[in-house]
Amino acid sequence: MTDKFTNFDEEKIVPQIQKTDEFSEQALEMPDLSKMSPINRRKFLALVGASTALAATACTDYRDKGKIISYNKKPEIITYGAANYYASTYRDGSAILIKTREGRPLGVVGNDIHPIAKGKASVQAHSAVLDLYDPERLKSPQKNGKKISWQKVDEEIVSQLASAKNSNTKTAIFCNEIHSPTFAKLLEEIKLAGGNVEIFPISLVSDKNREVSWRNCYGNTAVLAISWDKAKIIVAFEADILGHEGRPIEQIRGYANGRNVDDAKNFNRLYAIESTMSLTGTNADYRMKLNPLNSFEVLAAIYNELVEKVAPMGYSSIGNYSLDSVAKLYNLDRKVLNLLLNDLLNNPGRAIVYAGDALPFYTHNLVNLINQIIGAAELYDYSNSKVSFFEGNNPHRLKQIIKEMNEGKVGTAIVLDANPAYILADDFGFVSALKKVKTKIAFVEKESETSELCEYVLPVNHPFESWGDYQDRAGVVSLVQPVIEPLYDTRQIEAVLLSWLSGNPKAYSYDIYHDYLKKYWATNILPMLSAGDDSEKLWFACLHDGFAEIPAKAEIAKINVENSLLIPKLPNLENPPKGITVLLTNNYFLKDGRYANNGWLQEIPHPVTKAVWDNYAMIAPATADKLGLDYKDFNSDMIEVSIGNRKLKLPIIWQPGMQEDVIAIELGFGRKKAGTIGTDVGFNAVKLMTKNDDISPLILTNANIKKLNEKYKLFSTQEHHKLEDEFVKDFHRIRHIVQDGTLAQFVKNPGFIQQQREMTEKEIDEHSVNPPHDYGEVKWAMAIDLNKCVACSNCVASCNVENNVPVVGKEECGHGREMHWVRIDRYYSGTSEVPIVSSMPMLCQHCDMAPCENVCPVAATTHSIDGLNQMTYNRCVGTRYCANNCPYKVRRFNFFNFRNWVADGFYEQDSLELMHNPEVTVRSRGVMEKCTFCIQRLMEGRQEATKRGEKFLGVGLKTACQEACPADAIVFGNINDPNSEISKLAKHKLGYKVLEIIAVKPNITYLAKLRNINEEEAL
Amino acid sequence: MNNTIYGVTGIFETPDGIIEAAKIVEKSGYKRFDVHTAYPIHGMPKAMNLGPSPLGYFALVFGLTGAFAGFLLMTWIMTYNYPLIISGKPFFPYPAFIPVTFEITVLLASVGTVLGMLFVLFKLPNNSHPLHDTDYMKKVSSDKFGVCLEAKDEKFSEAAAKELLISAGASEVGTIYYDEETLNFKPNIFDVKFNVFLLVTAIVISGATYVLLNKLMYTEPFNWMHHQARIDAQVPSKFFGENNFSMRTPPKGTAARGFAPYQYKGQPELAEANLTNPLPPTRENLEVGKTKYDIYCSPCHGYHALGYARLNGQFPNPPSLHSEKVRNWGDGRIFHIITEGQNSMPSYSTQLSKEEKWKVILYVRALERAMNAKEEDINNDK
Amino acid sequence: MSSDFLHEPSVVEGRPSFADIDRQISAPLDQKPDYKYFIALGISSTMLLIGVFFIGITFYYGIGLWGNNNPVGWAFGIVNFVFWVGIGHAGTLISAILFLFRQKWRTGIARFAEGMTIFAVMTAGIFPLIHVGRPWLAGYLFPYPNQHEIWVNFTSPLLWDVFAVSTYFTVSFIFWYVGLIPDFATLRDRTTSKIKKIIYSIFSLGWRFSNRHWKNYEMVYLILAGFATPLVLSVHTIVSFDFAVSIMPGWHTTIFPPYFVAGAVFSGFAMVQNVLIFVRKIFNFEHIITVDTLEKMNKVILATGTMVGYAYAMEFFMAWYSGNQAESFVFLNRALGPYAWAYWIMVSCNVVFPQLFWFKKLRRSLPFMFVIGVLVNVGMWFERFVIIVTSLANDFLPSSWAYFKPTLTDFGILLGSFGLFFTLLLIFIRTMPVISIAEVKAAIHGSQPTHHDHERGEYNNE
Repeated sequence: MTDKFTNFDEEKIVPQIQKTDEFSEQALEMPDLSKMSPINRRKFLALVGASTALAATACTDYRDKGKIISYNKKPEIITYGAANYYASTYRDGSAILIKTREGRPLGVVGNDIHPIAKGKASVQAHSAVLDLYDPERLKSPQKNGKKISWQKVDEEIVSQLASAKNSNTKTAIFCNEIHSPTFAKLLEEIKLAGGNVEIFPISLVSDKNREVSWRNCYGNTAVLAISWDKAKIIVAFEADILGHEGRPIEQIRGYANGRNVDDAKNFNRLYAIESTMSLTGTNADYRMKLNPLNSFEVLAAIYNELVEKVAPMGYSSIGNYSLDSVAKLYNLDRKVLNLLLNDLLNNPGRAIVYAGDALPFYTHNLVNLINQIIGAAELYDYSNSKVSFFEGNNPHRLKQIIKEMNEGKVGTAIVLDANPAYILADDFGFVSALKKVKTKIAFVEKESETSELCEYVLPVNHPFESWGDYQDRAGVVSLVQPVIEPLYDTRQIEAVLLSWLSGNPKAYSYDIYHDYLKKYWATNILPMLSAGDDSEKLWFACLHDGFAEIPAKAEIAKINVENSLLIPKLPNLENPPKGITVLLTNNYFLKDGRYANNGWLQEIPHPVTKAVWDNYAMIAPATADKLGLDYKDFNSDMIEVSIGNRKLKLPIIWQPGMQEDVIAIELGFGRKKAGTIGTDVGFNAVKLMTKNDDISPLILTNANIKKLNEKYKLFSTQEHHKLEDEFVKDFHRIRHIVQDGTLAQFVKNPGFIQQQREMTEKEIDEHSVNPPHDYGEVKWAMAIDLNKCVACSNCVASCNVENNVPVVGKEECGHGREMHWVRIDRYYSGTSEVPIVSSMPMLCQHCDMAPCENVCPVAATTHSIDGLNQMTYNRCVGTRYCANNCPYKVRRFNFFNFRNWVADGFYEQDSLELMHNPEVTVRSRGVMEKCTFCIQRLMEGRQEATKRGEKFLGVGLKTACQEACPADAIVFGNINDPNSEISKLAKHKLGYKVLEIIAVKPNITYLAKLRNINEEEAL
Repeated sequence: MNNTIYGVTGIFETPDGIIEAAKIVEKSGYKRFDVHTAYPIHGMPKAMNLGPSPLGYFALVFGLTGAFAGFLLMTWIMTYNYPLIISGKPFFPYPAFIPVTFEITVLLASVGTVLGMLFVLFKLPNNSHPLHDTDYMKKVSSDKFGVCLEAKDEKFSEAAAKELLISAGASEVGTIYYDEETLNFKPNIFDVKFNVFLLVTAIVISGATYVLLNKLMYTEPFNWMHHQARIDAQVPSKFFGENNFSMRTPPKGTAARGFAPYQYKGQPELAEANLTNPLPPTRENLEVGKTKYDIYCSPCHGYHALGYARLNGQFPNPPSLHSEKVRNWGDGRIFHIITEGQNSMPSYSTQLSKEEKWKVILYVRALERAMNAKEEDINNDK
Repeated sequence: MSSDFLHEPSVVEGRPSFADIDRQISAPLDQKPDYKYFIALGISSTMLLIGVFFIGITFYYGIGLWGNNNPVGWAFGIVNFVFWVGIGHAGTLISAILFLFRQKWRTGIARFAEGMTIFAVMTAGIFPLIHVGRPWLAGYLFPYPNQHEIWVNFTSPLLWDVFAVSTYFTVSFIFWYVGLIPDFATLRDRTTSKIKKIIYSIFSLGWRFSNRHWKNYEMVYLILAGFATPLVLSVHTIVSFDFAVSIMPGWHTTIFPPYFVAGAVFSGFAMVQNVLIFVRKIFNFEHIITVDTLEKMNKVILATGTMVGYAYAMEFFMAWYSGNQAESFVFLNRALGPYAWAYWIMVSCNVVFPQLFWFKKLRRSLPFMFVIGVLVNVGMWFERFVIIVTSLANDFLPSSWAYFKPTLTDFGILLGSFGLFFTLLLIFIRTMPVISIAEVKAAIHGSQPTHHDHERGEYNNE
């Protein structure tokens, strides 16, 4: 047995041993290389190469993404990544909420609880962050161009002021119009402190004439605000109430409230009688062209007719003006004039006539009289009369002080962030006079024409870094609070003056004016509020709200009809001036030129002409032909406008609807020292103004126009073509881009737009081979009411800030490469004499069947589950195929890295990094971008809902454009939520989609524009 | 030196001649022979009695492979792996697949067939074939026509082969030999030159790749949008010189929306007088209060606010919150202390929001109540 | 099968011996090029360098250097792409389709045309890469596995393009190379220089002229021709999809595929014809690339030109017939709008002038046909310009219309593309047999066995 076993084992084992031996032998032996053909060697070589390459690829550097720094002591109110809002007030008086992240201002929205702002802010306020972070702000005090410390400044100036006080030389303070009660008080104190101080508030454009005439009529300058929303008939004489006059935000809101299509009864009617094509004119139901010189006569005619019809006590007719005569003289449409007259008569207390700032005071007198007759007094807001602190823009006082400056009687001139060297007419001789002043001190935010003449140039805080208050209406005082400590070695004017006033060079402290302000409020304003409450608490309440509403009730005196001032003898009527009339208007965005260095504002297309980065002479085609002037896109004739010895060279732009023999030029351009961006943009029309104007500083007569044989590159974001050109006439109507009708039509047949529609969503779904995609509970959509939209461009401004939209500069705009995500398209129909204007905001329509998506080869643009058309920037290669295939042409391509491209990388400087919205990608060159419906906000909303464990329906979410729209024309929301406003508007009787014929199912519903004109006259 | 015979060759002058020769050789039963002509001669395959070419099947197989692979790949990608809503199209947009499917079919079919022919059928490249560099080859590649009988054929004998070719009308006949060197060619893997070459390629390639991928690709104009010209939370910024600290503290005395500043700094009595708890003691509020309390307060005050806890001894012990004093304090007082701190207790303003403070206070009250409950509480429970 | 095409007149004039053919065709490779050649090369490579420079700065600064603007996202870049792809169509057409139709006259020019195809497609292939905003990410256009599982979008015509053009290039290249193998072998055995021998040996893969190979070789050639024919049609069809699949008025047209293919053949033939006129003169191939051949090409040009003309007319009809205002406007705008000049250049060069080829005299006159050929190419370039730019410049919304103005960079790159094409061509002429030796040999008289009775009969007839 056992043997067997052993044998068996051996048998089993032996072969194994042999095997291993064999194996080991083989292992020792070299492989037979002869079998290797040269091919294998090459293969081997390749393998080695490849593997090493791969190895190298694998071992990449570690790229440091920078360190993470957190607060040493986190402020109570700050949550990382969450925004805070501070109520404050911007320079132009718009009450705002400043959005900050980790203590850095990032943007602005209107103060929602402020009685005047009602949650809306001006274009300038929206773009303010760019001014705050402007790399070219003056960063430290300078003396004769050399850096100097504040201490030395204080010492030197305090001593000089003291010596000035002893010597009997004057001190002149030039400043902007003053709206801060506290600052006014401070200035008063400074005056009282002796030293013969005089204060000269100056501004380029003011409503002085209105004030003067108001004084004539009512004996005070407390001009009453108008509650526009109650007005049914608005007659604007040379007044751009929807554009740049008065408080556009408020006026637009009022006007838009009166354009509610669901309340056809109270639909207002806007008459515009003007010479230039203003934003108001483009929105007017009836527009008549009239030379501003003749507006008095036309008003007189209306006045006479009214006097005749109504025959009020004590009113006597003026001259022998009648509607017939003026209609004949200035070929106005008699029918429209009748209608206007009847409207004024038939809407007592609901009609108002409004004259523009430019018009002379006696015209305003007439307007006041007419308003009295038609009972417009009911439309006045008696709790909100105008408040002004120091009388500004008084040419006589200015001439006087300049004379004294020349005589050397003025020892010290202090300029408080104003720019007299730019905005005062040359014949004041301010510049030469200033040179004669011994001590010249300029407070500036950025170097300006004035500051370069001054010895001391002192940097001031941006409003976002300053304390203060603001009041231009009796009823409301707004507060200004800083949201960030000064970025540079700057101080705020009030604080510095306060410290100088004390006579102690060491008096300055960061809070000096803060305390002063609190003291002033505690004594003067807070007591007027709810009594008894402790002032500290009240103060913080006001600071928190951003304003204090104080009881104010203005009494309007009985108008004194017999007042001889009311009906002056009119020099210019006997011998009407020959030649061209020049009308100077305020620019919509740059205002008096202070914002020249703000690229965003420079780049917003002009609401009417669509031109960017320039001003020009707006001229009627007829007049242009008469003068042999030629205008083409990008290539217009230069002209020389000369009035007496005052000359200005500038290009023309062809503008339908301009009054013949009138040219309109915008102010605020042609700055000579305004930083890299703002210097030498456009042409300085102040050169045409004069200190002793006969009619009004803004209306200049007897101008001559000389054609220069040079061309100018004038860039606009929209091509112009002659309206008479049948080849392309009325395309926006033929193609159902802008749908419009008359109110009468709508009342008669509410469904008329639906009948005109080319294809409704239902039809599309029926015809489509694919079933529509199901978007669950949330699907975003937008509605834009063309009746409310006045094309003010606020949406563009706020979109720029929210979405880090770059500035591309003039040249690139010329190439049609502007990057705005939302634009305002402007279309003309009719004739170039009487154009009918339609404008519509155009942004990404987020089509359900987006044509851009299926052409993208890399799937960089696709649809989200909540119906957004999304761009994946990191995936985008930049084929631009999507832009080609977008019928709305709303996609924007980064042809360059624009931040680097504009003015040698101006916008790539560190300070501007702080400005960008951290929630939005900063797009690189070569990437396509477009409106995202502010997806960062939507995601934030979703996140909040999830945090609170609620079902997300997107209630209360707003896009930036919607937030900014003063007319509330934009409504955004979740269309799949039956309770949302948008889901109702999407089914609105006037609702339609642009370019329905191509059946891409856009998600933006436009409400057709209704024009409130008589039924017999169709469009 | 050449000794092994590869085969015998014969040169012919005319196409007709070569055709005839081919027929004769084929008839005489040779299997391993070949005809070499500078261009394809019509009728030659018949004369040589060659079968049909298999390449048609190559094309078919490769083509079908391409078609299916392409279509399925696209279907998988668009429909299953990563479906995307694109222009409202369905996730399986098969009509859009047609062009690409076609292209891939053609690509694979033609590439496959050609490579198959060259490398599989013909076993090319093969530059060390015995026929190369013979003047036989020189002739047939230009203007002559040749037949070659290979020695591998079992019927082969040099003399007979020559005989046959001459009889077929060959203008000249010759013999081809193997080249010894090519036969006994032994490459050596330890050949220094070769290894140096390898090393150099390795270094060059890896160096180049490294520089390209890690240095070059991060210089202008390459932009991967990695660096964003914006300041996120807790990220440094070059702008603020001192330690790049980009997060700012709001100026003092300002009031943000929803955050009125605390007004009773250093005035606990005022706080007690004016502040009242705005929140009701609901379950939710109490729960939040509890969590916050356990996180921030319990380390010192203890879970039950008895005043001894984990940190005992390391700090002066806090008093119990159940003391008469504390129980009689108004909520405002406690709020004040949480906000401002007291003795060695720091302020908890940055940790607790306003609401949270009030909720914590609610919870503290609950604790106190629990410690010395009243009669009615018990009744309530009933 | 060989009977049908022996009817037509011989491709090669006279009766050169096989040796002569070898000598003549490989002459350009054997003898040193004269100064004329270097002048030509100098000019073309200078153009190439200019192009390289402008492509370089475009790569560095961005597409902004081109004239493209907001409505006009595509301009010169894609125009050139389509133009060169079109040029690339003649080669494969000649070598594949004419081969299937047994058009013997193609043998003289096939190799050359194929070469031009390869170079044209190479030139074309550059543009899709350089016209994107971020060229370093062009790899995204290919479906490669990645950890994000992000793939390409197979519904995009641009992606179809990627596949079409790359396939087309690969297949034509193989086709071309397969044809070259035997000739390389011939050269290998002719040459005396050592280096040349090595190079030719490598490229000839050790081809042995074995008839066992020839059998499969002819088979594969047939198969390739069979595949290349639908391919060549598909490529420009797909290129036309780039436009036809979009919704832009003037692009969204069903006639595009045939219209584009016809146009491509049209311009391709014109280009081949132009170049051949020079080549046959310089290297005296007159009796291989005969006037008959050129005349036949002119006939094709005439035919395709007329097709293109028909397409133009049909577009207008359709635009009117569709009743779509935007559509009809775009076409009116082409003829009467700001780009009328381009449109009328296109019409005259593509439709009017080629009609002169109806006259046999003109058809056979070298200088005349050369001029027409040049005009045709100008016209075809403008055709693409008109289609792409005018449609984009004035599309649906009048608010976003804009006029496209090319910049210096645009022209520089256009010049460069011609530079690249001709440089490659000149190198090709000097390094490879521009005429297929084997095919010509097979095509001349007495090259094929005469023992079939009916064929002998024909010989007697001559």
